[in-house]
Amino acid sequence: MKTPPSSRSKRYTVLGLAFLLLAPGAYGFTEKLVQFVRTLNTDNEAGFTIIPISNYFLIAGGMACMLFWAMSNGMFRDIEKPKYTMLQREAELDGGALTEEELYDA
Amino acid sequence: MNQSQSSQSNVLTPGTLVDEKIVLYYLSLSLTYLIIAMLAGLLYSLQFIHMYPFEGIEIFSPGRWRFVHTQGVAYGFISNAFLGALQWVVPRLTGHPVASRKLSWFILIAWQVIVLATVVGVLTGEAQALEWGETPVWIDPVALLGLLLVAYNFLTPIVKVKGPMYVTLWYFIAAFVWTPMVYAMGNFLPEYFIGGSAAGAIGGLFIHDLVGLFVTPIGWGLMYYFVPIALKKPIWSHGLSLVGFWGLAFFYPLNGIHHFLYSPIPMFLQYGAIISTIAVELVVTTVIINFFGTLRGRGDALRTNMPVRWFYIGMVFYFTTCLQCAFHTTLMFQRIIHFTDWVVGHAHLVMYGVFGFWINGVMTYLFPRLLRTNGWYKPSWNSWHFWLSGIGMLVMFFDLMSAGLIQGFIWKALAPWSDSITASMPFWKIRTVSGTAIIIGQLFFVANVIMTWRKAGELAPKSSPYDPTPSNQSQEQYT
Repeated sequence: MKTPPSSRSKRYTVLGLAFLLLAPGAYGFTEKLVQFVRTLNTDNEAGFTIIPISNYFLIAGGMACMLFWAMSNGMFRDIEKPKYTMLQREAELDGGALTEEELYDA
Repeated sequence: MNQSQSSQSNVLTPGTLVDEKIVLYYLSLSLTYLIIAMLAGLLYSLQFIHMYPFEGIEIFSPGRWRFVHTQGVAYGFISNAFLGALQWVVPRLTGHPVASRKLSWFILIAWQVIVLATVVGVLTGEAQALEWGETPVWIDPVALLGLLLVAYNFLTPIVKVKGPMYVTLWYFIAAFVWTPMVYAMGNFLPEYFIGGSAAGAIGGLFIHDLVGLFVTPIGWGLMYYFVPIALKKPIWSHGLSLVGFWGLAFFYPLNGIHHFLYSPIPMFLQYGAIISTIAVELVVTTVIINFFGTLRGRGDALRTNMPVRWFYIGMVFYFTTCLQCAFHTTLMFQRIIHFTDWVVGHAHLVMYGVFGFWINGVMTYLFPRLLRTNGWYKPSWNSWHFWLSGIGMLVMFFDLMSAGLIQGFIWKALAPWSDSITASMPFWKIRTVSGTAIIIGQLFFVANVIMTWRKAGELAPKSSPYDPTPSNQSQEQYT
């Protein structure tokens, strides 16, 4: 199945939202995380800090590994394709089949 | 879809992929627990308005019945509904059945034993001193083993998928990895290894991670599956849905400490939780934009398609609750609302207004398909279910939010404690009434399920049982 190209406006909207919404969050979050890590060496409250940071790194570290694995295995190539194949499979399972026109015109 | 998947899907049928009986059992059990949990909540609410019928009887102690309410919702209602929905969704999305049908049945029975043992445990005073983790300590290892078996059963078909994966599967993978970790962290670290304020920090992480790393990923995963199918239209942007997923993955895990603002936990940890909470709100915005972009041009479905109506009203509540969360985790809000009924209203909106509504939508979609009927016994009863639940939920939310503000300002003014009790009484009465409305609505749905089941023979479709919208009925009648 060939995926139809996204419209330029949709691509810009997705990229714009990804940047505008995530960049400030990422900045604030990273800054706070660095502050936490520094506290480990400079502060007698380190005991409190170790557990949440370990918890965060355990979960987020695993997710980062999965992200890199997904990128290296082409999981984000032709990024819009899975949303069409999913609907097509459903239609097949329910005894009908959608034509590509039906899918793309929806 | 690659070639091997495509050829495989040609020979697969829903019957060979999905064990529909187990889905039916899970959803029925989920509804049963929901009714029990709601009645427990109603019973607990009567204590506040001096109408508690079992005063002085230890096993009916209101505090214990509160645990039955919360644990019944989390592990009886939501978990069973999710497990049932996963049994339907994962094989259909991956094209592969779950690892083992026998294991699926074992998990179904084992999970009910765990939930029932939890209820017996908390009613006999065995509750663990951990919010949302009141499950007695002797059940915790068994529950953890159950979660690992669930992960194995569903990850097996997911890892067989070749090529780019649909966003729902990303959410499910994350949930299957996160949930056992969160459960182990929350139930074992404070109990056996860590004490004092650090244990409080872990408790906070557990409460929020249970919502954010178990309920949220499965809930959103289900929405990304059911909404396009119900609307017969692909999600607006799959790329944006992945932005939402990875944003959740990286920003959510530190949120939990915002439950302990102004506590002895160091302030820099509390500030970190505030920042990550606001970051999550930004991520949630991307998800909401994506779903409303999908609805564009199909707005009439909100009127004609009951599952879609449940899904979207749940999303509006989700955005509301996350926006509320981003504000009330700030220290300025916390000065007023900490320990008040505002938080109780927030929790009800999240657990029932969002995830409960989504589950109601999933059940409304699935029951006729599982029972092989051409529709519902009485579609109007589903409307009663929706409106009584929706209005009841809104009234309860605004009622408890208002009560919280009034309580907070009275406490801040250092007025006598009894003043806040007197001022809260009308709000607590309204809470009981709105809760009763929600229960009546849910009973309409249960009655409709029972009657549809009993009349399944008469309601059977003339066309293919797998046809999602049989030709002789409109989508409106069907849903």
